[in-house]
Amino acid sequence: MRSSRALVLVVLFVAAVAAAWWFTTRRQQSTVGDAITVYYAKADGTTLVPWQLSLGPARDRKSAAFYAATQCVAGPPSGTEAVRFPAGTHVRALDVEGSTADVDISKEIASSAEGGFAESAEFKALVWTLTQPKLGIDSVKVRIGGKRVATLPGGHLELDEPLSRSSF
Amino acid sequence: MNRSRVRVFSLVALCLACALPARAQDRPPNLWFQGTRLIFEHAVALPGDLGVSTRDAGLRRFLDRLGATVSYQPQQRYVVITAEDRRTIVFTLGDPSYTVAGVRAQAPFAPLADGDDVVLPFFTLARALYVEPLAQPNEIVLQPRIGALDVRTDAGRTIVTVRGAMPLLIATTGESPERLQLSFTGLGSALAPGRRAAGPAVDTIDVAVGGTTKVPTTTITFEGARGSTHRVLPSGSLDAYTVVFEPGTEAPLTLPTAAPPIVAGRATVTDLTIEPGPDDALAVRVTLSGAASYEWHRLADNRWYLDLDNTTLAGPGRDEHPAFGAVQSVRVRQTGSADAPAVRIAFTTTSQQRIDLTPSDAGLVITVATSPPSDLARIGSGRTGGAPVVASATASPDPNASPGDGSGPPGWKFGTNSNSKVIVIDPGHGGADQGTAHNGIVEKAVTLDIAQRLRSVLVAQGWTVRLTRDADVDPVSSDNLAKMRADGKPNADDRAYLQTRCDVANNLGARLFISIHVNAAPLESARGTTVYWYKPQDAPFAQAIEKNLIPLAGTQDDGTRHENLYVVRHTSMPAVLVETAFATNPGDVALLRQPSFLQHVAQGIANGVKAYAGSPSANALSQQQ
Repeated sequence: MRSSRALVLVVLFVAAVAAAWWFTTRRQQSTVGDAITVYYAKADGTTLVPWQLSLGPARDRKSAAFYAATQCVAGPPSGTEAVRFPAGTHVRALDVEGSTADVDISKEIASSAEGGFAESAEFKALVWTLTQPKLGIDSVKVRIGGKRVATLPGGHLELDEPLSRSSF
Repeated sequence: MNRSRVRVFSLVALCLACALPARAQDRPPNLWFQGTRLIFEHAVALPGDLGVSTRDAGLRRFLDRLGATVSYQPQQRYVVITAEDRRTIVFTLGDPSYTVAGVRAQAPFAPLADGDDVVLPFFTLARALYVEPLAQPNEIVLQPRIGALDVRTDAGRTIVTVRGAMPLLIATTGESPERLQLSFTGLGSALAPGRRAAGPAVDTIDVAVGGTTKVPTTTITFEGARGSTHRVLPSGSLDAYTVVFEPGTEAPLTLPTAAPPIVAGRATVTDLTIEPGPDDALAVRVTLSGAASYEWHRLADNRWYLDLDNTTLAGPGRDEHPAFGAVQSVRVRQTGSADAPAVRIAFTTTSQQRIDLTPSDAGLVITVATSPPSDLARIGSGRTGGAPVVASATASPDPNASPGDGSGPPGWKFGTNSNSKVIVIDPGHGGADQGTAHNGIVEKAVTLDIAQRLRSVLVAQGWTVRLTRDADVDPVSSDNLAKMRADGKPNADDRAYLQTRCDVANNLGARLFISIHVNAAPLESARGTTVYWYKPQDAPFAQAIEKNLIPLAGTQDDGTRHENLYVVRHTSMPAVLVETAFATNPGDVALLRQPSFLQHVAQGIANGVKAYAGSPSANALSQQQ
């Protein structure tokens, strides 16, 4: 009698765990969809070109934003003329709080940040990528190498306040 | 799959990882890479691959040698490795499938969480980075390879790009106008030994591999068509080599006409008609099988295009040249990928035209008017299907908006400043901050030169001029340093330097502020002059500078741009930042080296000041009133 009760309890426990697993999995998969838009800046430094990328199995908002940001910083396929982030630049981390993303970009971005042209084009592409409607992000805070900066060395764009599409 | 599921999976996998090697394999194999042993301290042999943690110093060195970076953060499921040539390799925790440049493949095991790091299938990663693990009797040789040979045609030319795992060591072992033989030392290859090249300028490409497993050599021989010539193009990557073959005679340009099949669940363009509209307008009526979102772009060279997302084209692409309206051509193409198809509708117009979109249940009507556009929007988006919606547009702030018209912040009122005869010029950078430096152009020196010339011209016009610096220094006030360091905001010193320049103008109550700079870009093709502004009421000032500067300077007109730049934002008078020319463009560099050009820039800016603010006496009179 005692063993059958224990068996029932085990079965109920397993069923509860499976239900919770299924519920959370379904919720996360339905968050963003299966594709995301990534922008890059054309050689004129102003015109943005969107391209669609399929998402992997992680489709919650934060994962999708991280994925989109890494693809934006990597840039379009080689051979495509675009204003690109400096070689070696990559996304160190990305967090999303409410409608603000906080993206940490590696210090390589500062290695060739010169003049307003590239700086503006790079961040415009990144901000447009992260503020696409399906991500629910309005503004983007930026860290470089883990630290908050006012501007890039030798650069001009103000980075100590969140950037939005209206910043460009 | 959620995080807890990942943790459970990782725990199970790690248990397997601990158990399996004990039975099947004693320890990770010896690895040989680029003349040295590659030693991993955090590696475990797993079935079919070698698991290596991203915290392993050996893996970091391996990736550094290849110029690859890793993006991963704890609690994230994606691990993104970016190769030197910008291809991304994306792994997902708990999922054995991964992508290389968007193409999905299967790894022997799924990446495992390892504290704040992640254990990756190393051999799988190496292959994606064009490094092939080759089993030898007592070791595994990691052989860098030529990974790709991209051949494409463009306007009759054949463009070939060779991509390797590492910076290419190239020797030209045979060359004539029609033949090119390249030898790549240290790189093997799994490319097909011979191929007939697509395109009219190259007949054949042969690939031969020699040398040893540890020190291979790959030789690629290009046989060009009769009469063809070739030249090397800058590739922008040390891992790539691009050569373009030009045909001896002009070759016809072929356009793809194949259409993809219709896939259920996606919208399909089932019909597309081009018809005259009212007032010589042209209307393109797009009939869709279902709802679709779209995004449009207006380009600066009279082109405009719209992409219908997740949409296929039922039929071949089209090229139309209407004989009416302001439209020169209409092109319809299937674009995107098999996973994410799109249909692009592109117009080339005689000049910038107004284009209206009318979405409906049936699809979309695009109307190209013969009148100019009413706004400066360059991009917009919307959705067809269901109730008609108005296309949303994101426009730059309108620099034509008249100041003080009630729709935005009030314009500048002459005479409100305490020193309306004073103009402050800010020569960008200085001292330890040299600004951009390319091709012998050092920004801090050029900006000071132009600023001093501009001062002379403006003084001759009757203005009182102050420079934020008159020597090779980067001015900063100790008060600003103390204040910025105390406010708790980041980069106190950087802000203190910039604020000091703003303070010169703010404390004087200057009439105008002009910051002089030299631009730079990672693309050699970027050139021209841009005038930046921030405060909405400063747009007319920027336009006046640009309009008067371009004819004298002779540079490309890149227009005026709204930008959140410190010095034009934190000054309390009309302020602009002039990016005079690019130190990275050969044509602009030639100009920047000429004193006459610097004088023309100074004169052009002064002319813009006169057009915007008139003469200093007029300002003084306005102030008195």
